[in-house]
Amino acid sequence: MKWYESCGKDRDVIVSSRVRLARNIVDYPFGDRLDDASKKEIIAKVKDALADGKEYVFRDFASLSETERIAAEEEHAVSPEFARGSGPRALIESADGTAFIMILEEDHIRIQTITPGFSLDEAFDKAREIDGKLDSKLNIAYDEKLGYLTHCPTNLGTGMRASVMMFLPGIAHSGDLRSLQNQLGKIGLTIRGMAGEGSSADGCLFQISNQVTLGVSEEETVAKLVQITERLIEQERTLRRKMYEADREALTDRIMRSYGVMLYATLVDTQELFRLYSDVRLGVSLGVIDCVTAERLDRILVKCMPAVLIRDNDGVRDARSRDRARAETIRRLLSGAPEGKK
Amino acid sequence: MLCERCKKNNATVFYRESINGKERSLSLCEECAEKARKNGELETEFPVDGFFTKPLMGVDKLFGSLFGFPQLVGQTTSDGKKCPLCGATFRDLMAEGKAGCPECYKTFSDELSSTISRIHGATTHTGGAPSRFKAGRDLKQKIRSLEKGIKTAVEEENYEEAARLRDELRAIRAEKGDEEK
Repeated sequence: MKWYESCGKDRDVIVSSRVRLARNIVDYPFGDRLDDASKKEIIAKVKDALADGKEYVFRDFASLSETERIAAEEEHAVSPEFARGSGPRALIESADGTAFIMILEEDHIRIQTITPGFSLDEAFDKAREIDGKLDSKLNIAYDEKLGYLTHCPTNLGTGMRASVMMFLPGIAHSGDLRSLQNQLGKIGLTIRGMAGEGSSADGCLFQISNQVTLGVSEEETVAKLVQITERLIEQERTLRRKMYEADREALTDRIMRSYGVMLYATLVDTQELFRLYSDVRLGVSLGVIDCVTAERLDRILVKCMPAVLIRDNDGVRDARSRDRARAETIRRLLSGAPEGKK
Repeated sequence: MLCERCKKNNATVFYRESINGKERSLSLCEECAEKARKNGELETEFPVDGFFTKPLMGVDKLFGSLFGFPQLVGQTTSDGKKCPLCGATFRDLMAEGKAGCPECYKTFSDELSSTISRIHGATTHTGGAPSRFKAGRDLKQKIRSLEKGIKTAVEEENYEEAARLRDELRAIRAEKGDEEK
């Protein structure tokens, strides 16, 4: 099941956990230095390496429509660079919807696993399993001193980026984001707003990840991120409670108004969606709203992204029809049967 | 970003100077940078360390600038070294901010070492390895531990044990030598 279709640990604060491994094949150049024939060879090699089991689905990504490609980005299956790039490239997806292997992103191979809630170890194990399968069939570029060799020197070493997508309305409200950013920077971690750099307008969603990949092992990287995330979860819960206690009535009113809009609005744009999502998700964690779960709201957010809406609904084209389909999707998913509990 | 002089090519050389508090910055393509260099507009005599330690123009956004400082261009153009696999020069790497192929890291290991250490604060990988390297890694560790064992045995005057370990080490080295042939 995809990360937004299942529940997970600490879901009130952690939306999803992700691990990405950058890998390259020896004797092939990187990026623009690769001709189309070599690109096709690489795609075929990676496809063959994972052809044993039936648990993978291969997609010629370049042949997909722009809508399908951007929708994959909005579902966090692929990176923006991969979705918007050009030239031959392919995507291999695990049948369980938790692993995505991007072929010819910035590196020849990018293994990405994404799991619901706070589950970094699980995401790491899945990524390592695929890495092992590829390693047994392919000659992966590696240097004993520099580790895995990558297109960009910022990924040398483990080639690993571990991250958690966090919902942080408490920390964002407290105004401590800037200082958190500085503190994380000092210990080799980085925080970014979901869409823009450090922006708090994106539904209070922030991604925290490791910055350094050389001189630290994969296990150390994950352990450090887990340790810091645990502390942040506690801090976030405390700040939410504090925000609530400061003016229960006003906050409850804001949350219920947003919930009301979700239930009854007929047109909702993306910006409003993020605000509604953030308010109601906060309401769920505070116990103000108990008829919807955090994972249901995450599902709504993904299913209401512009390209996903166009892909999944017939006749959606312009902004107006998108806003209409968005409002319908919210209502439909809110009224659906329960999809699991926290 | 387009070159601010010709407005045709992409800017790949980013130059900033600060003299007595007066700041001047230029974003140029290779061609215009070369002209500016010839005209003496770009000061290229700064010590490399001083330049590198100064954070320039949102370095994390412009990875090109990780390599692409004019004084380094000056230093390396005469070199003419090319990567045997992809044909990239160090100047290409600086312009792109990225390696041309995995082999570039070996070809330009000296030129890249300070940049890599600056990005990561480390120079040596300590994490996992592909299976074909794991055997080599384990072997190296075994050799190191045998060498250490021999030293300890000799110090303890346990010559029998030292001889046994020495034979084991010889056997491993002989096998390794065969493999390399």
